Amino acid sequence: MNNNALKKNELIDNFNNKKSSKYINFFKSLFSYKWAVVSIIWLIIIINTAIFANIISPHDPNRNNIMERVAPPLAQDKQGNIKYLIGSDGLGRDSFTRLLYGARVSLIVGFASVFVGGFIGISLGMIAGYYGKLTDDVIMRLADIQLAFPFILLAILFLVVLGEGLINLILVLGIGQWVTYARIARAQTISQKEKEYVEAAKALGESHTSIIFGSILPNILAPLIVIASFNVASVILAEASLSFLGLGVPHNIPTWGAMLAESRDHIFAKRWWLPFFPGMAILITVLAFNIIGDWLRDYLDPRLKEVE
Amino acid sequence: MFIYILRRLPQTILVIFGVTLITFIALQIGGDPTYLFVSERASAEEIELTRIKLGFDRPLYIQYFSYLFNIMRLDFGDSLYYRQPAMDVILETLPATIELTLFAMFIAIFGAIPFGIFAAIKRGTWIDGALMAVAMLGQSIPSFWLGIMSIIYLSLPISWLPISGHVPFLMPIFQGNFIEGIKNFPTTCLYLILPGFAVAFYSLSRNARLIRSSMLEVLSQDYVRTARAKGLSEYAVVINHAMRNAWLPVVTIIGLEFGFMLSGVVVVEVIFAWPGLGRLVFDSISHRDIPLVQASVVVIALIVIILNLIVDLVYAKLDPRIKLS
Amino acid sequence: MKKLLTGLIAGASVLFVSSIGFSAPSDDTFVVGLPTDTKGLEPAQISSRHTANIMKHMFGTLFFISEKGTLDPNLAESYSVSDDAKEYTFVLKDGLTCHDGEALTAEDVAYTFNRVVDPELAFVGNSAGFVFPSIDFQSARADSELEVTIVMGAPNHVALGLISEVYVHCKDSYEKMSKEEAAENPIGSGAYEFVKWDKGSQIVMKKVANSAVPANFENLIWRVIPEASTRTAELIAGNVDMITNASPDQVDVIDASSTAKVQKVSGTRRMYVGFHQGEEYAVTEGGKAIQKSEVRRAIQYAVDVEAICANLLNAPCERATGLVNPNNAHPTLKPYPYNPEIAEYLLDQAGYPRDANGVRFEITLEAGQGRYLNDKNVVLAICQYLDDIGVKTTCDIMDWSSVYVPKIRKKEAGPMFFLGSGGGTWNPLYDMSDLATVESGPNYTKWDNPEWFKGWKVINNSMDPFVIRREIDRMLEVFYNEGPWLLLYFQPDFYGVSNRVKWQERRDEEVDIFDASLR
Repeated sequence: MNNNALKKNELIDNFNNKKSSKYINFFKSLFSYKWAVVSIIWLIIIINTAIFANIISPHDPNRNNIMERVAPPLAQDKQGNIKYLIGSDGLGRDSFTRLLYGARVSLIVGFASVFVGGFIGISLGMIAGYYGKLTDDVIMRLADIQLAFPFILLAILFLVVLGEGLINLILVLGIGQWVTYARIARAQTISQKEKEYVEAAKALGESHTSIIFGSILPNILAPLIVIASFNVASVILAEASLSFLGLGVPHNIPTWGAMLAESRDHIFAKRWWLPFFPGMAILITVLAFNIIGDWLRDYLDPRLKEVE
Repeated sequence: MFIYILRRLPQTILVIFGVTLITFIALQIGGDPTYLFVSERASAEEIELTRIKLGFDRPLYIQYFSYLFNIMRLDFGDSLYYRQPAMDVILETLPATIELTLFAMFIAIFGAIPFGIFAAIKRGTWIDGALMAVAMLGQSIPSFWLGIMSIIYLSLPISWLPISGHVPFLMPIFQGNFIEGIKNFPTTCLYLILPGFAVAFYSLSRNARLIRSSMLEVLSQDYVRTARAKGLSEYAVVINHAMRNAWLPVVTIIGLEFGFMLSGVVVVEVIFAWPGLGRLVFDSISHRDIPLVQASVVVIALIVIILNLIVDLVYAKLDPRIKLS
Repeated sequence: MKKLLTGLIAGASVLFVSSIGFSAPSDDTFVVGLPTDTKGLEPAQISSRHTANIMKHMFGTLFFISEKGTLDPNLAESYSVSDDAKEYTFVLKDGLTCHDGEALTAEDVAYTFNRVVDPELAFVGNSAGFVFPSIDFQSARADSELEVTIVMGAPNHVALGLISEVYVHCKDSYEKMSKEEAAENPIGSGAYEFVKWDKGSQIVMKKVANSAVPANFENLIWRVIPEASTRTAELIAGNVDMITNASPDQVDVIDASSTAKVQKVSGTRRMYVGFHQGEEYAVTEGGKAIQKSEVRRAIQYAVDVEAICANLLNAPCERATGLVNPNNAHPTLKPYPYNPEIAEYLLDQAGYPRDANGVRFEITLEAGQGRYLNDKNVVLAICQYLDDIGVKTTCDIMDWSSVYVPKIRKKEAGPMFFLGSGGGTWNPLYDMSDLATVESGPNYTKWDNPEWFKGWKVINNSMDPFVIRREIDRMLEVFYNEGPWLLLYFQPDFYGVSNRVKWQERRDEEVDIFDASLR
């Protein structure tokens, strides 16, 4: 009885220490990696921009005014007030407003496709790892098939047949990434399923589903979040390329990729502001997600073997 | 080794099946595929005739097997836009893309090695920081922007650097005209520089970071410390001992790399007027030339699969542990 | 050993560098930069201006039509017309050959024409789809060694010009080839012979010794460079002598360079927004509205065409007054001015006031993109102008070749659609033949106003130029007041031309390299 009480106190102590040291470690790691802090701040900025775009924007993103096209940054109207903060585009639309609204699309596409891909990938990966044998084989073969397709070709094939649109884009980009989650989820599940808590759950008669998604999942989320971060970066870049190829979202939805693609003809004409601002927006955001992914991976380092 | 190939073969074949199934589904997913194969002016009877001629009135599973059978004979039907067999059009543009992709992979691997190793050796110094910063940037820039920038700011001012276009090297070789191919080789290389870099930069950056971290890991291992203790210089340590193991992770991802690079190739080929398969895909999308899109996608996927197989075999040869798994 | 190795490497490097071919064209070569490749090199299957321009250097036609409408001999040296004006007989030059050596005689010309409508070959394109129906082609026959007659179903004032759009080739060579082979292996009859086609990259031609028409440059290379910035870069670098379709935003850059200039020309292509008049479109409120001529007239005042030209096309223009090019247009009609207040007033009067949300009616404007100069932006600007006067417009911009063109061909684009129609300067009737009959292919609005169409009977039955012109003017007034087109502009063309060469551009989008020369 005494032993048990001791053990119990020990356990509770350990648990408390772990919890507080967990948080301390987290923030210690974060602040030592100063670029990660900057990245998270940037992320907060653009999330807010996306949410409040219609409140803070000075103009309508789609209203064109061809008499005032390609105005340089800080262009003024007749009263001397600054009308176009970072200039206007080829149709006289305010670039600043479009940049703000563009954040919406980048984030929505980024997060939604990661959600779709993550959902499919993690589920399939965990199922493959947990049940093994035939299920594992089938799912891994599916993964091989998917990997055989250069991502953009898959996107092209389906977007050409299905047509353009935000939902189609999210679906295509999401389905393109599921394998990246599946592989890690599977490897992690395999190593987790021999652990005690799983045995315990099985002994308690829990269903497989609740074991997989209830018990194992929380323990393997960490590396998956790392992957997710890198994937958001890739998706934002992919959207830019697809816009360049004319397979992005419809023209009345401003996106950074489309703004960059539309600026092509103007680069030569030395209208630097047209490619610069959306280009920087893409660059910084992608960089931010890459840095966050890097930091998360380093922070979780001892627990991971290979994550890319 | 042979047994390994034997074991991998059914897997590969299965993947090929899967790829064809996906492209088959893609075609059917939008409804009656007949409309994708007829030209704009077709009358209702013509459409019906085409539907029967192409077999879209048959049950789906028969259609699929017939499609599979055709693929094995490399018969993808006729391109709507060019009005000739899709395979012929693809074969004409394939050599150019192979040139570009091989060159890009070469840069992405052998360019990254000194990059990554140097950064690892100089770990912690500003050199390391600078190199890694460039690598991070490299993974954050859209390749088409890089391409246009390099045209305007590099090839225009530098007169000997070509802007766009292509001088064929592989194509004459494939046709047996070795003399012309060899004669063109230097010029082909010159034309390959900018587009090759535009395609490779992302992968080069990623590989550099990979090599650096793998190098760091290797450098901290016991046998390396032993070598250092023996008094060998840092460079000797690196080259003789560490490198042998450090670049294995890179080999692992070469197969994936090729597939990934193809995404950049499409865009770069358009900008640099490189007449390859990527550009063909782009054009056939604009024309909604579905037979050609489908054929291109299958051909590229097949190439990636075969390449992966080769890479796996090479890896198996290099790392004896794998053979036994 | 090391020395040998170093020596070998040095030697190889020198060899390597010296064998690098540089890209500036030599003195006997003219290089053109095109935005798209051609579909094929089949002379009977030409459906774009690009391909036509390439083909006209490889294949001869019966006559050349200059911009002013004068006839210059090409393969034929003279012609005569039958009494009923339905048969045109051409006398060919003597001693003509095709590029494979076969003699080019009347039999070959007749074969060429009859082949176009061969049901087994089922050609579509300019000849089979526009020229032949327009002249109501019946048959072609060789009357003698050098005389060939084209038989039409009815008299046609522009027959000569239309017949001259057909590219002539020899019989023996084309009889032997299948349709697929012919598309890749053209055997021509023109000033330049086909050397090779590197698909997606370039088409190379070489001058023939004994062509019917003189040409200056020995070699002609058509390079495909899809990206506009890259095309401009190649021009400025001097690797390309001429680029078609210079982007309006890059015109100033080219002009500012010391190596090239832009030759701007006011083109002949009529750009317009069609108001669909078919019953199938009268079902929506907007569709019904634009079928009233008062509404169409009101909308004419709503669009600032001159601002569009000046800002989006970088080429000041005068708005069109009709569908005929300015040199042949109605002498006194003035273009509709930009006046949104009048537009709003007229719409009020027509029975379409603004509702509580400021909307008069809703309508869709369909367009393709990538075909015309800055088309996407022009269409978006027009939609904005319409929005501003209360016509809530949905701008539906779709893919040109695969979605929009089929819609247009089936006359199903609408209720408003943006389109360009190639025109000419040599005869107003050519421009007006878009609407020769209600069933005419190019009558995409399905317009059927009898006041317009009855004019054709008068014109076709008269030989008196005074009567014809009077009727033309009457018809153009009808078009101005009640026509189915929102009148826009004639598309300007920008040709970037290197300072190395001298080349004369044409207004009708045709490109002639025959007379180009080194400066």
